[in-house]
Amino acid sequence: MIVCVAVVGHQNNPLYIQSFTEADDALKLHHIVHCSLDVVDERVNNPKKYGPTLNEPFLGLLYPTENYKVYGYLTNTKVKFIVVTTGLDVRDADVRNFFRRFHAAYVDAVSNPFHVPGKKITSRTFAERVSTIVKSFGLSSAG
Amino acid sequence: MANFLAQFQTIKNSCDHLVIAVEDVSDLWPIVKDWFEERLPFKRASLNNKTRNPVFVEKLAAEFILTTDSRLRSRFPQEQLLFWFREPYATVVLVTCEDLDEFRTILKPRLKLIVQNDEREWFIVFVSKAQPNNENATKSAKKVYARLEVEFSSKKRERCCKLDIHCPEANFWEDLESKIMESIRNTLDRRVQFYEDEIRKLSEQRFMPVWNFCNFFILKESLAFMFEMAHLFEDALREYDELELCYLETVNMIGKQRDFGGVDRGDDQAVLLNPGNKPLTQIVQDDSFREFEFRQYLFACQSKLLFKLNRAFEVASRGYSFIISFSKALALHENILPFCMREVWVITACLDVVNATASHYVDGLVAPDIEKEFYRLQGDLYSLCRVKFMRLAYLIGYGTEIERSPVNSASLSMLPWPKPAIWPSVPPDALSEVFSKEKMILQETRRVKHFGIQRKPLPLEPSLLLREANRRRASLSAGNMFEMFEGRPVFNEGSGSEASTKMSPSQKVRSGVMSRTNSSPGNFESAIDRPMRLAEIYIAAEHALQHTISNPSLWKSLSALEEFEQKYLELTKGAADNYHRSWWKRHGVVLDGEIAAVCFKHRNIDLAAKSYEKVCALYAGEGWQDLLAEVLPNLAECQKILNDEAGYLSSCVRLLSLDKGLFSSKERQAFQLEVVNLAHSEMKNPVPLDVSSLITFSGNPGPPLELCDGDPGTLSVTVWSGFPDDITLDSLSLTLMATSNGDEGVKALRSTSATVLEPGRNNITLDLPPQKPGSYVLGVLTGQIGHLRFRSHSFSKGAPVDGDDFMIYEKPTRPILKVFKPRALVDLAAAISSALLINEPQWVGIIVRPMDYSLKDAVLQIDTGPGLAIEKSHVIEMESYADVSQSAADVGKSDAAHKNGSLAIDKHFEQLRLNDGRIVFPGWANNVTSVLWIPIRAISDRLARGSSSVSPQRQSIVDGMRTIALKLEFGVSHNQIFERTLAVHFTDPFHVNTRIADKCNDGTLLLQVILQSEVKATLTIYDAWLDLQDGFAHTRKGDGRPNPGFIPLVISPNSRAGILFSICFEMSNAEEEAKAPQPDSILNIRYGISGDRTIGAHPPAVESPGPEVVRQDLIFRSALVLKRPVLDPCLAVGFLPLRSGGLRVGQLVNMKWRVERLKDFEENEVLKDDDEVLYEVNANSDNWMIAGRKRGHASLSMKQGSRIVITILCVPLVAGYVRPPQLGLPDVDEANISCNPAGPHLVCVLPPALSSSFCIPA
Repeated sequence: MIVCVAVVGHQNNPLYIQSFTEADDALKLHHIVHCSLDVVDERVNNPKKYGPTLNEPFLGLLYPTENYKVYGYLTNTKVKFIVVTTGLDVRDADVRNFFRRFHAAYVDAVSNPFHVPGKKITSRTFAERVSTIVKSFGLSSAG
Repeated sequence: MANFLAQFQTIKNSCDHLVIAVEDVSDLWPIVKDWFEERLPFKRASLNNKTRNPVFVEKLAAEFILTTDSRLRSRFPQEQLLFWFREPYATVVLVTCEDLDEFRTILKPRLKLIVQNDEREWFIVFVSKAQPNNENATKSAKKVYARLEVEFSSKKRERCCKLDIHCPEANFWEDLESKIMESIRNTLDRRVQFYEDEIRKLSEQRFMPVWNFCNFFILKESLAFMFEMAHLFEDALREYDELELCYLETVNMIGKQRDFGGVDRGDDQAVLLNPGNKPLTQIVQDDSFREFEFRQYLFACQSKLLFKLNRAFEVASRGYSFIISFSKALALHENILPFCMREVWVITACLDVVNATASHYVDGLVAPDIEKEFYRLQGDLYSLCRVKFMRLAYLIGYGTEIERSPVNSASLSMLPWPKPAIWPSVPPDALSEVFSKEKMILQETRRVKHFGIQRKPLPLEPSLLLREANRRRASLSAGNMFEMFEGRPVFNEGSGSEASTKMSPSQKVRSGVMSRTNSSPGNFESAIDRPMRLAEIYIAAEHALQHTISNPSLWKSLSALEEFEQKYLELTKGAADNYHRSWWKRHGVVLDGEIAAVCFKHRNIDLAAKSYEKVCALYAGEGWQDLLAEVLPNLAECQKILNDEAGYLSSCVRLLSLDKGLFSSKERQAFQLEVVNLAHSEMKNPVPLDVSSLITFSGNPGPPLELCDGDPGTLSVTVWSGFPDDITLDSLSLTLMATSNGDEGVKALRSTSATVLEPGRNNITLDLPPQKPGSYVLGVLTGQIGHLRFRSHSFSKGAPVDGDDFMIYEKPTRPILKVFKPRALVDLAAAISSALLINEPQWVGIIVRPMDYSLKDAVLQIDTGPGLAIEKSHVIEMESYADVSQSAADVGKSDAAHKNGSLAIDKHFEQLRLNDGRIVFPGWANNVTSVLWIPIRAISDRLARGSSSVSPQRQSIVDGMRTIALKLEFGVSHNQIFERTLAVHFTDPFHVNTRIADKCNDGTLLLQVILQSEVKATLTIYDAWLDLQDGFAHTRKGDGRPNPGFIPLVISPNSRAGILFSICFEMSNAEEEAKAPQPDSILNIRYGISGDRTIGAHPPAVESPGPEVVRQDLIFRSALVLKRPVLDPCLAVGFLPLRSGGLRVGQLVNMKWRVERLKDFEENEVLKDDDEVLYEVNANSDNWMIAGRKRGHASLSMKQGSRIVITILCVPLVAGYVRPPQLGLPDVDEANISCNPAGPHLVCVLPPALSSSFCIPA
């Protein structure tokens, strides 16, 4: 379902990007995440058009393409979470829930005193936690 | 009703405007027709929309049609109701009549007949043909018109108007228009109401089995069409939207299996903008329409209306989502559709929408954000089209020409393969094509990336085409599939062409064999059961596609590689350009990179480099290194081909500074090799190169290097090298920037010798010349590698620069060097402030106190001033100095330590020699306060003079002052100089004060000599004697020494002692006078001193004093002045008190003086033979009248103590304070007279007593 999750810093620099595909094609997911920043930028720059998104970090579906979906989430510190899914029947609530858990994991990771803000997240615990969250994505709705 | 569909279509096509019926009662139409039609289309009309709100429409088209026209005549009533929208919206009745009777009898009944039909909105135009000069005619016409109005107009509604042919009224046409408009409005309202009612009725039956979508559609579209005719496009659009919703609801109803459509020839081309492409009758399916055609039809109707509303943006936006959703619908029916029909449809749909919207779009008509959005949609459409086009191209074997870039991979590898029911197989006549294709595949060589970078190519396919195609062939079961791929270890998902080229040798052989066996046509039939080879798949797909694609230009684009590339470029450019004009810059730039790849392939390197640069800048700017690593080698290659040395070098450096994990060490070494080779080659113009991302530097951790003003130093800098191998820097220089003043503070430190940087951390030391005071940070690191000048601004915080912020130059904030303002680095001070012994060798102590500054190799020059000499025979001593300005406790401790004889472990002592007036400091004195003891002697040839009451002068302190000029050279290169002149005070041990303590009757004088100790040392007097001057002699003929019992006399510092000498006046005798006269008495004191040089005066310095301290007796000589007394009074004169009554003018008074002899006059030769004294009274004769003798002798006995009183009678003459008469003794020297008590200076004289004789009556 989820093929890629990414944390993008407030200067649009990648902080963490992890793909969950078997093939060795992470680069294309980098590309998808990077390009989705266009949409995030657009939404942030046109707050009027996209309704009152004040205090609403979930940006919703960024890209409706035929084959994959990109969801975004923007924290108060302008850190973006991007998730790329391939399933076509993804429910918004699931994604919201995923982002909430992902955000919590991120907050824990950057609260590490040894983490330099604005630098890539290298914590292995974070990676493990993220993969757990990714694995459990959609299970709650299915079950 | 569905039967009416065809009719409906024809009606719809035949009329697209409102109709106004003209009932030409009086054959007037030919006359007025032109005038009426001039008014068309109506410029401005007010109509009501569906919600009954007034809407202004412009250029409302309409047509006047006579009721006698065949178009209006031949209609059945039922048709009329159904296609009511085409019926006239207003009826104009044209009449004329000049005779009232005629009107009454003929016209009126006829008109009544015409207007009785309530359905119609009518009004009457009375045309007056009367000439204006024909008054009768005009009059009767007026009358008839008045009559007409009475008959047909009501209060509610004006239904008549009058047209004067010869002189039409000015407002007639406005009036006419408003009447027509009113009629149209009313008709429209009524018909809308009718249709709405009908639609509602039908809608209610929607879920009943009898329900027929076609009927609903005809009603709904009739309404929509009516709105459209009335230019109420918004309403029409809404109707179509509702119709679409309704259709989607019903079409997906379960249980009704319908044909989807789309299998006709030409269906592969989307018809999103042409509603009339296919007659609706053709797509009717039972009671509804085929989805494929009907949805496109609806969209076409909507887009037509949207274009009429000038909403090209909305067409694009709706179009994009329609294409996406319709594509999904196509996917559901893919098994019945021709091969790749879905892809072809999407391509044509996208292009249609893009072209139509672009041509309808007017720049600047919409808000800027809508505009951006519009271009974004255009970009999206192009992009979607591009993806599908690439997919088709891949299927027919152009996959190798498609760049395996992230963007292509992202869009293609997640796009499923087409899913035809049966994968097309190779047509029997295509064998030669298969061979040529196979040959092409075999010849295909993957372009090797620059620098020999080896990357696993990104997939362009969701799964292996070979497997997918074979799996979809009917005759192949899954079991065969596995057999087929057995023994292919290299085979894996997602790299189709890779697998085909990397087939194991045995496989290659086998395929070769197979092609040979397959060459016989007879065998070919059996190929169905055999798995298809890639070339076959390509050829099969090509043929199938040719079958599917009806658009010749699209097919042309796929028919040849060049055509494909051209189309590909066109689509990519279209997408990129549009994205660039939208918010989505990243999309645009990324696609620029794709264009660059094509340019590069066509050796259009210049363009390619420019585009690649943009892409690299995008990725680098936001730190997307993985993506950057993909593009940057391409840019580097372009730059190399273009011979852009600067660019190429900087690309190499950027490649090197990317995350180490992104390239193998071999690749990184290749990058470095390129840099080094280029640097050492003959470069035409040595280029500067920014290596900030690769070579970073920082000061060493810890506090900054601190230097005093003027000191040179050595700066140690950590340099991080990001090169994979050692790199030799031919020279290196580093600038320092003053933090306070940026203008002048840039100084470069150079290290000209070659430096070899190892990968990682290197320590480099640089010589630092003296700097101005201030604090400095590291500036720029520059250097040379071969001919290459590089510079690095990047400052690392003690670690290699992190991968993701290599474009961020962090300003070094921590100073690396602090040069202090000029300050005292050392202090030279005299160790003691108390005086030293003059004329004796003494130790003068100089405290050398370094102030946080090393005195290594310091040299002290000593220059003594006049009256001071260094005892050259002595060595100079130096010892560490315990600062006395410590706290009391410390002092106590150190005192205790002193007593113990072990002051401190680091107590140093050293003897030094003076060379050329210079002393070199020992090493231990570098950082500790030390004291330098220099033996000196102050020379003074003056004899000390004592003071007495007679000569009270004190010795001036300046007399004992001597100066020592000191010059200390120190610092790393003796650059620091400290100069100071010290004043040293020298003094005699004693200050002598003398006084005559007593004068005895026998003439003995007791001379008290008070010795004030001048030094801070204990003085011991061993002997003292006086050498008296002439006129004085020792009593008792002694040698003038005091009582030996008091000797030795110890005098504590700053205390006093006294010695009494008894002397007497010496009778002058001739012998002594013959001797040389001795003007002063000399006091000689033999004394010893016991003092500490650290406190003050001390025993004279001696060269290596032996263990047994020989008492050194010193001699102090001081001159004394003894004088005989000058005053010797022998007579005393006293003024006796006056009587108490006071003096009055004219009153006699006795003035009395008493004269007393104070001593015998034995020695006084003047008065020797006379016992009388001469007296004289002096008085001012103005004030006093003296009675009696003013001058005379009075006898006075020679004996001491004899006295007489002299009385003089005086009369004061004036009142006031007057000076009394004075008694003088003219014979006696004034010095010998003592006035005791002294006479008054002034006396008070009262005025005379009052007398009556003086009274004068007023």
